[in-house]
Parts: sequence; structure tokens; C-alpha cells
Amino acid sequence: MTDKDSQNIDLQEEAGAKFHRGSALSLFKSDRAEDMLALLFALLIALGVYVLIK
Amino acid sequence: MGVIFLAIAFLADSGSMGDIIAVFKNKKYVGEMVGMGYAFGIIGVVIGAWHMWGSHKEGDMDYYLSSIAGAMFILLVAMLVRWYLAPIVAVWSKSMGPVMGNKPLHKVLGLNYVVLGILAGLIIVNVFKIPHWAENGVRLSRLGLKSGVILLGTLYSLAELQSLGKLSVIMVGFFVLGSVGMVLWLGRRRNIPNSMGGVLSAGMGVCGVSATVGAAPVVQAKAVEIAYTIGTILLWGVGMMFLFPVVGHILDLGYIQFGAWAGTGILNSAQVAGAALAYQPDGIETLKVAEIFNITRVLFLPIIVLWLALWYVKHEGEIDGQKVNVGKVIIGKFPLFVLGFILMFALSSTGVFAPAQHYKGKYFDSSNVKAKKMMNDKQIATLTAEAPKVQRADRQAALASLIENRKILTVEQWGVIRGLHNAKVLSKGANKIIKKATKAVRHTAKRIKKFRQWITLLFAFGLTGLGMQITISAMKQAGGQPAVIGGIVGATKAIASLIVIVMFVRETI
Repeated sequence: MTDKDSQNIDLQEEAGAKFHRGSALSLFKSDRAEDMLALLFALLIALGVYVLIK
Repeated sequence: MGVIFLAIAFLADSGSMGDIIAVFKNKKYVGEMVGMGYAFGIIGVVIGAWHMWGSHKEGDMDYYLSSIAGAMFILLVAMLVRWYLAPIVAVWSKSMGPVMGNKPLHKVLGLNYVVLGILAGLIIVNVFKIPHWAENGVRLSRLGLKSGVILLGTLYSLAELQSLGKLSVIMVGFFVLGSVGMVLWLGRRRNIPNSMGGVLSAGMGVCGVSATVGAAPVVQAKAVEIAYTIGTILLWGVGMMFLFPVVGHILDLGYIQFGAWAGTGILNSAQVAGAALAYQPDGIETLKVAEIFNITRVLFLPIIVLWLALWYVKHEGEIDGQKVNVGKVIIGKFPLFVLGFILMFALSSTGVFAPAQHYKGKYFDSSNVKAKKMMNDKQIATLTAEAPKVQRADRQAALASLIENRKILTVEQWGVIRGLHNAKVLSKGANKIIKKATKAVRHTAKRIKKFRQWITLLFAFGLTGLGMQITISAMKQAGGQPAVIGGIVGATKAIASLIVIVMFVRETI
């Protein structure tokens, strides 16, 4: 059956209270950091496609 | 994980899967099984070996790299669903015959690799346990979705964006502002705290969790109110993500209509992408339309934050003398990936990836037509014999130029010849010839094709991971008045936007 740890995968603490972050789980400390990395990753893919595909 | 990927690649490559492919009818995925199987297999084996013997402490680079093992886990689930589960479900469904109109059950219910991937993730997290070593990978799935949205910027042409942009600003502007206003009004009528109403209006109106967290300091929302809002929009969004494609298939909506509806009526970026890909799993035209609407909605975030700040000060005044810097909140919380999308579109518009005038990854180039695609003497003779059937002057001129030059010379002529083809003035054989001529001068942008493959992969990964984040605990957070208000406003927005779209949005841009 459901494992308790599995349900706690998205627990977030803010202002001393805990809540589930739902489907907005992130590995990063802030959404901004995640956005920056997504931008960097997308630019790297774009560069790769530009260089490798003629 | 890596070993399983390698085994699939080896079996597919060596032809040992012949019987399985015959049963599953998944031959079109053999190329993916071999290419992706070997690539991910090697990465998986190397990372897996390192993972077994390495140490992973939070905050270290080691910790972030450990997410790769989890990413492999999501990818394996996503690909098993795409290569085997979705094809076999389609085989079963087709064997039952059509259930509604001419469509089999899996088409009506939208049971394709996107929906099944999300369902697989949902079952894994709620029934089984996500392995401890894979948890960081699950936390990486939103990164995949955001990267996919940024890369989507490369696929739009200026014409598409101008046309869809106008429609999306009108639609989204009306429904976002309308739903924010409706939540605030209902909140006051039902006596929920202003902070709760404020944060729920941002979540229901703009873009799910990001907007909720962004608006929270402006209305001084408590963590428990954020939790209520997240629970409400998650509960609503998950339901709509599965329901929208079913309704879309029943009403037989076009790609633009469905994309516009999903982008307006669904709250969360990931769920918008999920519904759009569920509706059209074998192409990304619907996703492109839906994301334009989604991004337009996010662009409304500063307006909503300002509105909420003014509304909150009017109704509550400044609590404890604390003044919230609205500008700082907007700058600090505005999702940067939206700017990334715009940046990628601007980059693509310069023509670095494909000629700037490309449309759906195809572009017109008359100077580069292969000799075998030029019209031959027999085809010229057929068209010359049929030319008198054409009455309109512009069509006569375009056809004369085509006969003289054996190819279409200008994009204007291309449009006229296409019109002639659609008008079916000529015989079937001649119509076939002019269709070939229109295709000969349209070229596929190879880089755009590659971007489409990357986007599909990133979304398949992100959406399966999304399913692994939808816990029952998170949805249980919803309750009481916020869920009632959220349900009323969400349903009103979904139904009203559907009516507007069916009445006013046509399948042309």
C-alpha cells in the first residue's frame, strides 16, 4: 500500500508551516534558479542543434 | 535502468523483437528504441555505477548530479509507456471496435502515451514507492517541462505569433481578469479571509502554483492558505487535464480550438502541456497554440499582482505597518522561462535555425529544387492540355509560369496554385501534378525537425515526472470554501471559454 515517504515527496516548509507543493516540485532552492537552469539547458540544446545539424 | 535500456536497444537492433512488434504494432518506435536505448543505456550504466559507490550530501554538486539516476527512472517509465503500453492499449481498443462515432475507445478517452505516462507516474507515487535514489530525478521533471517550453519558441513563425497573439491576449485577458475578479467577489460573499481570497484568485486566474507563491506576500497569505490554494488548483487541474481531451474529441475540436481552450481553461503550465499533448500525441500543433495562451496568461502576472496589492490595501490596509514592495515581488517572482521562450523566438526569427518565413517547420525556396522534382515533359503536356479550364486571371498566370519554368517561382504563385488545387478545377491527374509542384518548393527545416524531437522527449519526461508528483496528500489539502469557490470559478471559466471558442475561433490563423 501507499508508503508514507512517497506521499511526503513534495513537502515544503515556509514561514514555519508545512504544506505539499503538489505538481510544482523542484530540486532547486528557488523557482528562479530552476528557470535559469532551464534557460541554460535550452540554450545548450539550441547551440548543439545549430552546430551539429546542417 | 541502464541495463534495461541497453537490452531493449540490443533486442530491437538485432531484430529479435519481431514477434513482440507484430503483437504490439509498435514498429514505428524501433528507431527510437535503438537510438535512445543505446544512448540512455550507456549513460545509465555509467551513472548507476558511480551512484552505487559515490556519496550524496544535500547542497553538494554530488547531490544535484544524483538526480540523473532518478531522471533515468522517469525516462524508462515514459519510454516503456510510449513504446509498449500505449501501442498495446491501442491494439486492445481497436479490437473492441468503434464506441463513439467512428472512434475507438482509446481515441475517445485519449489513452495515449502522454495520458498513460501521467497515470503510470500517479500510480507509482500513490500505490508503490518511488525509490529513494530516484526522488531527486522526480524533482527534476519541471526543469524538463520548462526547457521544453523555452525550446518551443524556436517553432513559431512571426505570422503565427502575430495572429495567435492577438487572439490569446483578448481571450486570456478576458478570462484571467474575469476569474480573478470572480474569486475575489465570491470570497467576500462567502466570508473567507481576504488573504485567502487574494492568493486563491492568483492561483485560479493566472498560472497555478508559481502565481500562488508569487502573490502570497502581496496579500500576506499564511502557509496554510497557500496549501489550500495549491490543493484546490491541483485537484481541479488534474481532473481537467484528463477531462479536456475527452470533451475535445467528443466535440471534434480542431487543434487551434483545443489549444486555445486548454491554454485558457486549465490553470497550471504543466497541466496545459499535458492536456494539449494528450489531445494530439503525434504532433505538437495543439501544444504550440496552448503554450502561446499559457505564456500570455503568465504575462498577466504583474497586472494581477498589482491589482491584488491595491485590492488588499483597500480592504485590509497595511497590517502591522509592514509595506510590501510590489515591484520587488513582481521582479522576484516573474517566471524567467517565459522570457526564455521570447528570447528563443527572437533568436529563431533572425533565421539562424530556419528561414525566418518558415511555417510549421517548412519554408518556401524556389532556387533549391532538385532536378527530379522539376516537372517532366509528360506532366507539362497534361497541364498545358488542361490550362483552358482555368478561368481566373491570377490562376491562369500562375499556371502559365509553372508550365514555362517547370517549377513555382514565387511564394505568391505558390499560394495561387494551392488555391487552384483546392478548387479542384482540373482533372484528378492534373491536380496531383500541381500538388507535387507545390511540395517541390517547400523544404523541411532540419533543425526545426530536431527541435520538435527534443521538445517531445522533454515533455514526455516532464509529464511522466509530473504524474509522480501528484500525491493524494497534496490534493487532500483542498477543502472547504476554497475548493467550492475554486470549483465554481474553474467550471465557469472552462465552460464559458469553450462556448467562446466553438463560436468564434476557426481552424485558420
